[in-house]
Amino acid sequence: MAINPPYLHKKDTIGILCPAGFMPIEKVQTCIETLHSWGYKTVVGKTVGSQHHYFSATDEERLHDLQQMLDDDSIHAILCARGGYGLSRIVDQLNLKKFKRNPKWIIGFSDVTVLHSYILKKTGIASLHAPMAGAFNEGEFTNVYVQSLRSALAGKHAKYTCAAHTYNYPGSTVAPLVGGNLSLIVHQLATASDIKTAGKILFLEDVGEYIYNVDRMFYQLKRAGRLDKLAGLIIGGFTDSKDTVVPFGKSVYEAIHDVVKEYSYPIAFNFPVSHEKENYALKIGVDYDLKVGTKQVRLTEA
Amino acid sequence: MDRKHFFRAFIPASLAALSVKQAFSSPIGEGKSANQPFSSTNIPRYLQEGDTVAITCPAGPVELEKLAPCIRSLRNWGLKVVFGKTVGKKWQRFGGTDPERLIDFQQLLDDPNISAIIFGKGGYGTMRIIDGLNWEKFQQDPKWLVGYSDLTVVHMHVHSNLNIPTIHGDMGNGFSIEDESCVSLYNTLFGHKVLFELPSSVMNRTGKATGKIVGGNLTLVHACAASKSDIDTTGKILFLEDVSEYKYSIDRMMMALKRSGKLDHLAGLILGQFTAVKQEQEETFNMRIEDIIWDKVKNYNYPVCFNFPAGHIADNRAFKMGIPYNLAVGREWVTLAEAEIPRYGHDLEVVQDSKTDSNSFASADNLRDSTIRRR
Repeated sequence: MAINPPYLHKKDTIGILCPAGFMPIEKVQTCIETLHSWGYKTVVGKTVGSQHHYFSATDEERLHDLQQMLDDDSIHAILCARGGYGLSRIVDQLNLKKFKRNPKWIIGFSDVTVLHSYILKKTGIASLHAPMAGAFNEGEFTNVYVQSLRSALAGKHAKYTCAAHTYNYPGSTVAPLVGGNLSLIVHQLATASDIKTAGKILFLEDVGEYIYNVDRMFYQLKRAGRLDKLAGLIIGGFTDSKDTVVPFGKSVYEAIHDVVKEYSYPIAFNFPVSHEKENYALKIGVDYDLKVGTKQVRLTEA
Repeated sequence: MDRKHFFRAFIPASLAALSVKQAFSSPIGEGKSANQPFSSTNIPRYLQEGDTVAITCPAGPVELEKLAPCIRSLRNWGLKVVFGKTVGKKWQRFGGTDPERLIDFQQLLDDPNISAIIFGKGGYGTMRIIDGLNWEKFQQDPKWLVGYSDLTVVHMHVHSNLNIPTIHGDMGNGFSIEDESCVSLYNTLFGHKVLFELPSSVMNRTGKATGKIVGGNLTLVHACAASKSDIDTTGKILFLEDVSEYKYSIDRMMMALKRSGKLDHLAGLILGQFTAVKQEQEETFNMRIEDIIWDKVKNYNYPVCFNFPAGHIADNRAFKMGIPYNLAVGREWVTLAEAEIPRYGHDLEVVQDSKTDSNSFASADNLRDSTIRRR
């Protein structure tokens, strides 16, 4: 099981940055204010509010911003304001020496999957797959999903439940949780952030992908041997899925179900981890107790 | 650029209009003897008149009518054409169910009367069935497999597991008239040496390389990572093309190749066509495809050739994967030709010219190129 960074105390400082895509500062404002209301201080990195083409800043600038926050002892957690694309362009150049001695929670999802996986693989330190700045906006900072981040940072053990789904495979398991965004999980196969999934609970979510592409990515995981030895599988939201002119002929969940139905480990579909507001904070690398029942799914920090 | 000279040494335009059979008369192999073991590579027998070619659809569906130009060409070349059961079939977005496509492909692979298989269509679906195929008979009696795009999975799988060459070229639904891509497939299938010569792009990195061509569609090369079909690119000439992808996605896939070390030890890199690139609503990834790719390989020394005429375009020239080619990227011209193949026995030493020779070959070019590129 991974090493937990220290939980936060009042007046601890959270660093906010954009290691991938760009985000205007006003869209980060509610997040900053909410973190203050939770009793934390914030520091905003140079990559917030800036833009360099597709990215928040050049590779060098994004790397520098992230490296500084990783190394700065006065910063107790790092919240990535948004995903997009860009972490795999810089992640291999990170120096994790200081971070390893003085670990801190790294918060985010989507493209940040690359950072979570890299850190877990290189240091064995847990990180937080959780809502980012955008999730605080439009009055949503009070919802249970954003609040689950608050609880996680404060060190409260999570107990999540959701309704059962027809495709679920009942069963229970206790194992470390790994995963994130499907596109990024397959993207990092055979790289330095490729994660081993044997004996783990794997969770996956994605957004805006063609159904055939989700199918292909699941076949990719299967062919790479990443699905056959799991302890359990959690399928989050696959929202805004697109179909081609020639229809795939299945819903995205049907397609996923067809790929994984041969396995016997517990599987939970439609778990609230997604690009929508339904996105519970999950500690990557940490042991969870997954119980997939006929009426309910429970995921409890072990 | 003088369009007429685009492929000046490849085939005289006037000959292309004639019967392609008369245009070339220097087969590489000698019929069955081409099957000799060579550098642990079994080269399938080149085709002769009277041979039988089969069409099957391991990925997307294709209607029989769409194959008419392909069938006409193949018959015109003196070949018999047989159709797998998946031709004309459709199940969802595939040319039949997974078992149907698998069985069809398997039967044609194993049939000793079939000398080559041309895939009907790309699309998506090959990787759903490839691990179910049994290659034993094919390994003993290999035949040419022709396709690209989704069929990259077959190229990679056959290359890394069996070391048998395959043909990157048009598929059944991609034939139109007997154009130059069609002629290049004819020549490749019948064992006539093909020399590509094209004007060099200012983006190219000059140098010489010898190595087997591997790769194919970038998305599928990426999608085979860590699978049984994944390839070792060390000492190889990597070929990449793609269609209908977002720029950020091309960048991300190139990053994945780089991060997994697939770009580190190439002999050379050939970029085919990147067509129908998708636009996001607010496209902020305002780099050219060439720059996106160059950015990933700028710190290496091997030759890089952009704009090679292969990919999702009408003029998709055929070439062999898994067979050594000589690539020479000069300031003015790029040439790509099959390396001389020793007839018997001895292992071929793959010469990695890119590191040693490229300096002597084109040091002046490199200098000039670097100034142009950095402008």
